[in-house]
Amino acid sequence: MSSHNESILREPLITGKNITYAQVTDDILLPVENKPNKAWWIGFIVAALGAMLWVVSVGYTFWTGIGAWGLNKTVGWAWDITDFVWWVGIGHAGTLISAVLLIFRQNWRNSINRSAEAMTIFAVICAATYVVAHMGRPWLAYWIFPLPNQFGSLWVNFNSPLVWDAFAISTYFTVSLVFWYCGLLPDIASIRDRAKGLKQKIYGIMSFGWNGSVKTWQRFEIVSLILAGISTPLVLSVHTIVSMDFATSVIPGWHTTIFPPYFVAGAIFSGFAMVQTLLLILRKVLNFEHYITMFHIESMNKIIMVTGSIVGIAYLTELFIAWYSGSEYEMYAFANRIAGPYAWAYWTMMTCNVISPQLFWFKKIRTSIPISWVLSIVVNIGMWFERFVIIVTSLHRDYLPSSWAMFYPSWVDVGVFVGSIGLFFTLFLLFVRFLPSVAIAEVKLLLKSSSLQQKTKLVQEGAFPAEQVEHFRTALSSKYDSVTKEDIKELEIK
Amino acid sequence: MDSNKKYWKGLEELNQTPAFVESNKGEFAEPIPVEDVLNEAGLSTRAPRRDFLKALGFGLGAVTLAACNRTPVHKAVPYVIKPEEITPGIPNFYASSFNGQSLLVRTREGRPISVEANPNAVGLNQGTDATTVASVLDLYDMSKLQNPQIGGKDVEWSKLDSTVIAALNKAVSGGKQVVLVSDTINSPSTLAAIARFTTKYPTASHVQVDAISYSGIIEANKNTFGKAVVPSYHFANAQVVVSVAADFLGTWLSGEEHTQDYIKNRDHKSLKNGKMSRHIQFESGLSMTGSNADVRIAIKPSEEGAVLISLYNEITGQALAGGTTNAKAQVAIKLVAKELVNAKGSSVVVAGANDVNIQSLVNAINTQLGAYGAIIDLDNYSKQYQGSDLAFQQFLTAAKAGQVGVALFLNSNPVYSYFKSEDVKAALSKVDFSLSFSDRADETATETKAIAPRPTYLETWGDASAKEGLFTIIQPTINPVFNTRQVEQSLLVWAGDNTNIYDFVKQNWETNILAGTGKTWKDILQQGFVYKGTSTGSAYLAQVDVAAVASAIVAEAKKIAGDVELKLYESTGMRDGRYANNAYLQELPDPISKVTWDNYAALNPKFAEQLGVGENGTVTVEANGQSITLPALMQPGQAMGTVSVALGYGRTKVGKAGNKVGQNAYPLASLVNGTVQLSAKATVSKASNTYELAQTQTHHTIEGRNIIRETTFAKYLEDPNSESGRFSDTHKTYDLWNKFEQPGHKWVMAIDLNACTGCGACIVACSVENNVPVVGRDEVRRRREMHWLRIDRYYTIEENGTKFTEEKEIANVQDFENVTVVHQPMLCQHCEHAPCETVCPVLATVHSSEGLNHMAYNRCFGTRYCANNCPYKVRRFNWFNYWNDSRFDNYLNNEFTQLVLNPDVTTRSRGVMEKCSMCIQRIQAGKLQAKIENRKVKDGDIQMACQAACSANAIIFGDANDPESEVSKALRNERVYYVLEEINVQPNIGYMTKVRNTLEA
Repeated sequence: MSSHNESILREPLITGKNITYAQVTDDILLPVENKPNKAWWIGFIVAALGAMLWVVSVGYTFWTGIGAWGLNKTVGWAWDITDFVWWVGIGHAGTLISAVLLIFRQNWRNSINRSAEAMTIFAVICAATYVVAHMGRPWLAYWIFPLPNQFGSLWVNFNSPLVWDAFAISTYFTVSLVFWYCGLLPDIASIRDRAKGLKQKIYGIMSFGWNGSVKTWQRFEIVSLILAGISTPLVLSVHTIVSMDFATSVIPGWHTTIFPPYFVAGAIFSGFAMVQTLLLILRKVLNFEHYITMFHIESMNKIIMVTGSIVGIAYLTELFIAWYSGSEYEMYAFANRIAGPYAWAYWTMMTCNVISPQLFWFKKIRTSIPISWVLSIVVNIGMWFERFVIIVTSLHRDYLPSSWAMFYPSWVDVGVFVGSIGLFFTLFLLFVRFLPSVAIAEVKLLLKSSSLQQKTKLVQEGAFPAEQVEHFRTALSSKYDSVTKEDIKELEIK
Repeated sequence: MDSNKKYWKGLEELNQTPAFVESNKGEFAEPIPVEDVLNEAGLSTRAPRRDFLKALGFGLGAVTLAACNRTPVHKAVPYVIKPEEITPGIPNFYASSFNGQSLLVRTREGRPISVEANPNAVGLNQGTDATTVASVLDLYDMSKLQNPQIGGKDVEWSKLDSTVIAALNKAVSGGKQVVLVSDTINSPSTLAAIARFTTKYPTASHVQVDAISYSGIIEANKNTFGKAVVPSYHFANAQVVVSVAADFLGTWLSGEEHTQDYIKNRDHKSLKNGKMSRHIQFESGLSMTGSNADVRIAIKPSEEGAVLISLYNEITGQALAGGTTNAKAQVAIKLVAKELVNAKGSSVVVAGANDVNIQSLVNAINTQLGAYGAIIDLDNYSKQYQGSDLAFQQFLTAAKAGQVGVALFLNSNPVYSYFKSEDVKAALSKVDFSLSFSDRADETATETKAIAPRPTYLETWGDASAKEGLFTIIQPTINPVFNTRQVEQSLLVWAGDNTNIYDFVKQNWETNILAGTGKTWKDILQQGFVYKGTSTGSAYLAQVDVAAVASAIVAEAKKIAGDVELKLYESTGMRDGRYANNAYLQELPDPISKVTWDNYAALNPKFAEQLGVGENGTVTVEANGQSITLPALMQPGQAMGTVSVALGYGRTKVGKAGNKVGQNAYPLASLVNGTVQLSAKATVSKASNTYELAQTQTHHTIEGRNIIRETTFAKYLEDPNSESGRFSDTHKTYDLWNKFEQPGHKWVMAIDLNACTGCGACIVACSVENNVPVVGRDEVRRRREMHWLRIDRYYTIEENGTKFTEEKEIANVQDFENVTVVHQPMLCQHCEHAPCETVCPVLATVHSSEGLNHMAYNRCFGTRYCANNCPYKVRRFNWFNYWNDSRFDNYLNNEFTQLVLNPDVTTRSRGVMEKCSMCIQRIQAGKLQAKIENRKVKDGDIQMACQAACSANAIIFGDANDPESEVSKALRNERVYYVLEEINVQPNIGYMTKVRNTLEA
């Protein structure tokens, strides 16, 4: 496929020896075509128990009322909207990877886009549950849409950011789902072609009659690009609109023009952290080390570092503007974050989001799998606290001190949150079992250009100057965990 | 004619071919496979896809249709014979009275739903206090008895009557006393019935005793004027008021009446005339009255007498021994005495102590000040408290000696409210027959042999005379709901008099009250009251042996002086404990501490620190050999070394709402010189357990924000705009939105911070009017109280001349005794640029063309965004189904109690936001009335529930489009400011600056 030889200065996106197209298919479909192992079952049971907790907690809330949560007259949103924003934010990385990186021809996305998109969809599902669950009368949730009705033609309030939210989230979910599914079509067809019996039928239906003809591939490419084009603005718009829930209000700490870019950066930040959390385990458990390489991990860590820095600057800007505004309410809101009763949350956020990603300046750290994994979780803890800080510490002490109150979560608050994580992992584990978690077709595209074996071949053919080869060898040996000593030894001109 | 013609359908029929014959046998041309389908094989065949879809479609459609069930219809059964006076949907008003105050009771379809002050009444106040407004709920109290009881078992009235009469006859024939123990009875007809009763039973006597006793004043007046009465106070005529531990705006004597009069010299109208009274308060605990004082000095209970002695010395120039040694008090007294003397004739001193000597000294001071007549009125004296502690002592002694044959208890619950409960029980056990008229099996009633339950005032005929010359009628607004009988009727029956109570009351009025007034019985039923007194009294001179009194005061003070002193006080909501089962009152926050559903030990924060008691700590308070453990409350303004505890809590047999709420503090009281004393030497020690009080406000200062704007009277005189933030060069404001026309009305409100005393009557009135749920202690702890209207109370701590309002500064304050307080009623501001309106996704809250912020409950699906975005945090969310949820048992969880609901206002389901609607139902009613009468709505036609309840007239409501309306005039006042006006939400409620008439030392 490759019409040109890729420079050796680019690190390989696929490692391993003697990898063929068939080998790629075999490797990636291993979890789909075989019975799950013990690890999967353990993970699934734990996740499903979490999902059950979610059902119980949300069910209890629906049955008794929102009073089951720890909210009060002053703090009307707390864990619910914190969790909502957190999940929506997490979703953003998937879209960024699949759409923006596609448009920018970042080939390394090919190995990670599938799982990232799946993550997006499940995260948006989790987020959407809060949209409904936080309502006092969730059975009327459909009123958020401007549906023709017989209530005296009541319409929605197009001024309300919550209406924008409803549009943003539903659009986002729809586009992400379509994009993801379109990308899955050739891979589902691969499963179909290798499967037998009922499985073949099901995957046959799911593959929408993919026949692998040139025309099909051509349309596939076009649709992917179009959908990428549609998705790209969503990366920016969805969290912008979510941020407007706060930014358009009058509450000090919410009423902030910096919110849209700050929220988008934060979303990508947390999303990449979640991708990292998932993929580091995935590549180990499913033996995808040759496809999801250290290059991917390092690249994502760099993005985490950059977005983390943007978020950090946003925090500092907020503080500066609070002081510069001269508004006593604004100043108090931020003084209260720093030193008020929820200061611990603020400093947790600061540590996790601003300090911890700076560690990725060190190559040792950003290429260390265990540290990357731990930091990815730290980042998501930090991002949860960011939303908690914005929502709860702004609300709990706003204008009139008489109404100041503390928020304490109830068991139901905790249950709904922990449960939503369970729900997320349940869905993700099912996805891993039934669908290819790496885009087979897209990885195959890279095999003849960006793989180590291809580069080794070129090196052996003497296509590159010796100093470049040396550089390549150092780069490989210094970080790639999936590259063996023999692999490096072979990088010699024969 | 029959035709033999035969038509054939085809050649086959003509020829009768075998194929035709065969096919013609069946009904249909082609065989229908009914049998095949219905036999087993047919049923087990696979349904074709289309059939499956058809079945699915039908099934789904059928289920959907079946589910399209309309909400169940509850039919209102129409009257078979419609009573002439009832038009469904239109309220009827009946004149009645409660605690001697003339009221209008509003009834809907035959059930009383609210009370308001009779607008034409004179003598007392024009508003209603919290207990009066809340009293309708008592009618619907399920904890009341439904039948008379003997020995705890329901009996018929006839059986009860025969038992009682037998017991009475036995007592009389045995020469034993028959004693009716009651609280103060000023009702002429009740007294007449008692007179009939005592005539019939010659050994009968009537003992009046009040749980909160004013015997001291009565005795003192008897000694100094020869008139054993409690005077009336006309604070409207007082320019300088000094109160020593008298909560005269709250619970002392007639707080509402005093408030109304007192505010007349302090509200915006008075300030407009450049006049404002000065009020100095000496007290230990921070009372509501103290919170309104211009100068407040914290003293220990034992210093009360000394302060008065010093004051007397300063005023008269005498040198009685025993003056105060408290440095702060000494400084203040010097200045105050000058003020008092300068304002002779319009200055007054009041004291709260129930002590003959102290009250005698106060009488001497007031005589010096010339307060008798215009201010203190001994002619039109108060009849609200006539109880005698001594008389009750005598009853107990007689009973314990076995001299009492029959004891009847009317409105009296000494087993709970007497400090020696065991004494009362012991006395009762020696009485042959005892009976209580209580409407419930309360602490005393369960100790008596029989209970003759009385109906509430809303079900009875009766009257009251709260003041000499003032008579008010009580007429029933509903038939007795339970099998109860009025006390007067019972007494008449037992006296062998079978007069119907209606005839009895009517006859009594016609012969004794109406004579000479030119009014008829019908006039009274319409007007509700007669006032035969004068507006002020005549001058009196007290004859006091000041030296003897002073030395007695010093001697008594020594007994209670100690490192720690206790002060018991009457609670604003529970009063002496009688309203403990009223959920509205239990949830009414204390005006100062904002605590609901509990009493507590109020301690100075510094004192608590010394004791090692922190947030949610508890303390054991011991006095007079009794001790109780209470949650501690850090109370700024509380004198160091003192602890204040509210009475009226800790009922055990009052009902679902009030049982076991707080601790009973009566046992800590004592009897000194024949009067019950509420001050004592005490010890306070830290207790081990923790307890979280349910407070509606937990942050107590304004953090230096300009939401409260206050100035001093001196500054106000220089510049009425002082501190209001109103300047001549108002800067231009910009709007995101288009201006919309408000051509009709524009409903707005003005609230005078100088008039609001923080009593909370408006809160209860609002709750009753708008069916605001009571949520209970746990929910208040979770900060979920539902009050549409709240009163924010902010402290400013003063130390060494600096005022602190910020939390971080207050952390370093050493002296918490000097505190100034401001009360700010806070409710929906009906902003023109309402932040709540823009964020509601479903337009459930929208603005009206009359300037109101509407809330469409049915449209709300509960995102709570509006509440989050409300800068005033006045929106309230229905976290649960409060009015019908078994967990909220203390409120409306039964159909009977639900009858108290105002049918003009919907109850809100769970998951719905609610807030002040500016009593939209009242606005609508007012507009409809005007339309019926074919006129425009007049200013004053429409009153808000909160406004109607406010005796201080702190809330003014009206139409801003009418430049001559009261509210328009008020809002043009220089003092007006709008809370948070800088965020340009354009609120429709203006506040007037707080002005303090501070002493310029």
